[in-house]
Order: sequence, then C-alpha cells, then structure tokens
Amino acid sequence: MSSLSNEQLETAAAYALGALDADEAAAFALVLALSPELQREVESLREATGMLGAATAPVAPSPGLKQSVMAQLAATPQLPREDAGAQIAAHAAPVDPAQLAPAHTLAGAEPATETPAPIPMSGLAADKARMRWFARPATIVAAAAAAVVLFFAGAFAADLVRPSSVNQQVLAQVVAAPDATVASSEVAGGATASLVSSESLGLSVMVFDGLATLSDDEAYALWYITGDQISPAGLFTVDADGQTVQVLEGEFVAGTIVGVTVEPASGSPQPTSDPIVAIVTESA
Amino acid sequence: MHPEPEVATDDATPPAADEATALLTRTASGDQRAFSDLYDLIAPRMLGLVRHVLKDHAQSEEVVQEVLLEVWQTASHFDPNRGKAVTWMLTMAHRRAIDRVRSAQASRDRDTKIGIRDLGRDVDTVSETVEISIEHKRVEKAMARLSDLQRQAVELAYYGGYTQSEVAEMLNIPLGTVKTRLRDGLIRLRTELGVAS
Repeated sequence: MSSLSNEQLETAAAYALGALDADEAAAFALVLALSPELQREVESLREATGMLGAATAPVAPSPGLKQSVMAQLAATPQLPREDAGAQIAAHAAPVDPAQLAPAHTLAGAEPATETPAPIPMSGLAADKARMRWFARPATIVAAAAAAVVLFFAGAFAADLVRPSSVNQQVLAQVVAAPDATVASSEVAGGATASLVSSESLGLSVMVFDGLATLSDDEAYALWYITGDQISPAGLFTVDADGQTVQVLEGEFVAGTIVGVTVEPASGSPQPTSDPIVAIVTESA
Repeated sequence: MHPEPEVATDDATPPAADEATALLTRTASGDQRAFSDLYDLIAPRMLGLVRHVLKDHAQSEEVVQEVLLEVWQTASHFDPNRGKAVTWMLTMAHRRAIDRVRSAQASRDRDTKIGIRDLGRDVDTVSETVEISIEHKRVEKAMARLSDLQRQAVELAYYGGYTQSEVAEMLNIPLGTVKTRLRDGLIRLRTELGVAS
C-alpha cells in the first residue's frame, strides 16, 4: 500500500486540479521531483483531470490562429529529446578577474581589525585581493527546476520535502523559477556551498553543507560583488549539523559574484577577512 | 443529431488518443505537417477548455497560441508511458489558463458568485464531434457520482481556476475540508472514469 501521507495525497489532488497557489505548487514540485510514487499518483490523477479538460465543448479558433502558430514554428527551437536530468551540463565557470576590476572596496586582509574604511587598492594588492576571492572555481549549472531539484536530491531531500523555514520556502520558490541556476563550489574546510539564483525573481539562496560552527562573537557574512561594489547581503550562523539555507538580502542580478567571509557577530560594512568561498554567476 | 456511436464502453480508448500520441511523437522530431494535424485535433479542445476558465475569447486565443508553441517546443519531453498525449497537452493549457486568470485577478477581483453560477453552463458549443460528446457523457456520468459538495469543490478548482484557499473562503468552510473534498472527489472521478490508479 501507499507510503504517502494523507497530506501528500491531498496536496497531490489539489496539484493535479491546479488548485495550489504559486508558492504551494513550487513547494510541492520539489516534493514531487523526489518521489516516484507521488509522481505516479499525480499522473493517474491527471488522467482524471485530463478527462475534465476534454469534456468541455470545443470552440473553433479563429482562422488566423493556425497561420500565426505555424508561422512561428521555424523560429521556435525544439528541446532535445534528453530528459531534464540529462540536461545538466555542468561546466566550470571561467573566472574572469576583470569582473572584479578596480577592487578598491575590498578591505584589508587583517581578519580582526575594527570596522575598516574602504581602502583603495591598486597593483599587486588588488591582484592579491582578486586572487583570494577566486581560489576555488565554482561549477555552474544552468538548469530547469527539475534538474535543480535533482542537484539537491541527495543531501537535502528531507528539508526540501518539508520546507519549514522561510529560507527553505524561498529556496523552493527560486528552484521553481524557470531561469533557476545553481552554482556550486567547495568551501575552505571541506564544506560545499551552492548558490541557487533566479534573475527573474531577483533572488538568490546559498545552501551550505558541512559548514563549521563559529564562536559566539563571529558570524558568516554574505556579500554581493558587482564590479567594484561590495554590498552586504546578510549575516548567518550554522547549527551543529552544518547545513544551512540562507536567502541573500538585496536584489540578485545575474553576473554578480557572491562571496562569504567570517566577520564579527555584529557584522561589517565591508569584508574584513579572506573569503571562504566566492561564486561567480553567469551574466544573463 | 449525431448518430449513436456503436461502441461507447467506458474502457474504450478514444481514437484521438492514439492519433494524438503518434502526431506528438512526429512533432517531436520537427515534423511541421504532423504538428499541423495535431493543431486541428487539439486546438479546438484547448480553446474550449481555456475559454471555459478565462471567459474572454481573445485572451483565450492568446493563451492557446502560447500553449501550442510550448507543445511544439517540448514535444520531445512527452513520455507516453506516463500518460496520454491529450492529457499532457490539456494539462499545459489548463495550467496556462489558470495562471492567466489569476494574474488578471490581481487587478480585478473575480466575482465569486458569478464563478459559482457559471459552472456547468458553458454553452459555446461550436462543433461537437461524436467522440467528444462520448467523453462529455462519460465525465458527466462520473461527475454525477460525486457528492454535491465534492462536485462543487472540484468544479470551482478545475473550471473556476480557484485555489483551494479561495474555494475555502468562497464556501466559508475550513481549508482542510476543501482539501478532503477535492481529494475524495478526484479519487471518485478517477475510479468512475476507469483510469488506472
């Protein structure tokens, strides 16, 4: 018999009928992508809703509609036959230091200085600053929602199935966006960081696995880096399990670099330590 | 009056189902002639469904055009092992229709009373074929097996395009009750229509 919960079965029915709102549908799409059993349930319910759809009286389209549709075929590319999962074409993101150009707002390297004023940097110092943000190349995966879900299926199934926090709900929303993109990178110390972003939503979410806990007077800081602008995008800490989903504050723009540093718990206007990870996103 | 069809058992697969699958498969490999035939087969049914939800004819044609291009683009992703081609295409059309009706709702709240009153009374029949009238009768018969409350919830959701929360609000009943009615109603419908579970 079914191992699906009553709640899942009810949501499956509402989903098949199109009765979930956008957020509910996005959250359910995640659950669905992870459960073949639920997929079969939805498919069979859809045959019933399909009959509802087929039962409405047909209406003849105006004659111009067919011409208009046919005329657009040549200019409308067709998707290849592979399924969504096979479409994940991971490739290393080329790191272009020029994107960081005059990195003068990158702060000094002393980890524990008091709030630093932005220090103009040039020459070697700037090169070093650029280098330190890009010690580890990120892997960027531009992907359909289903592929993004597959990307997380291993590590995050439980959290994605029952998005409990606001952060996870936003993650579900971003994952479901048609232009969702994942970029993943190793973090110093063996953790992994994945950035899920959607330009159309203007949102990005960092997902960490294995991140070290910090002392009480420290916090992880997120940064948006665009050209020579470094903008704070929020502070967070991690629990003992090292798994964290963190929505970045501010608007995400494709092509932005997202960095993480360790800062005093009260935060810093600009980074005061070497980044533990930096992820370059692809320009739109 | 249409002649009574000879075969109308509940298990009969409408001939269009296989035809649609064949045409969709050929469409997936870029066959524009197959797509043209597929258009003739599915566009009136899509428009019937979309207009049932949206009411406005011009908007409905826009939506149908978008859906048909989506069918062209994504035909290769249709998997005949996971459902019927007609279902696949009508599901897309339904999704786009409710997206549209909900975004329109943001500027102009839909009159929920009209929503209820209109149900089941869409009389814009243009060219009902024998085969579609068989499906219509099957669905009508199956819908008659639902309780009034289940049928109301299913119709508001599917044909009205209302979310389960909106349905709860309209009927002034708890959300949990709506969920149960949708679930039980759809299960009953699935059983009555003889689609595999």
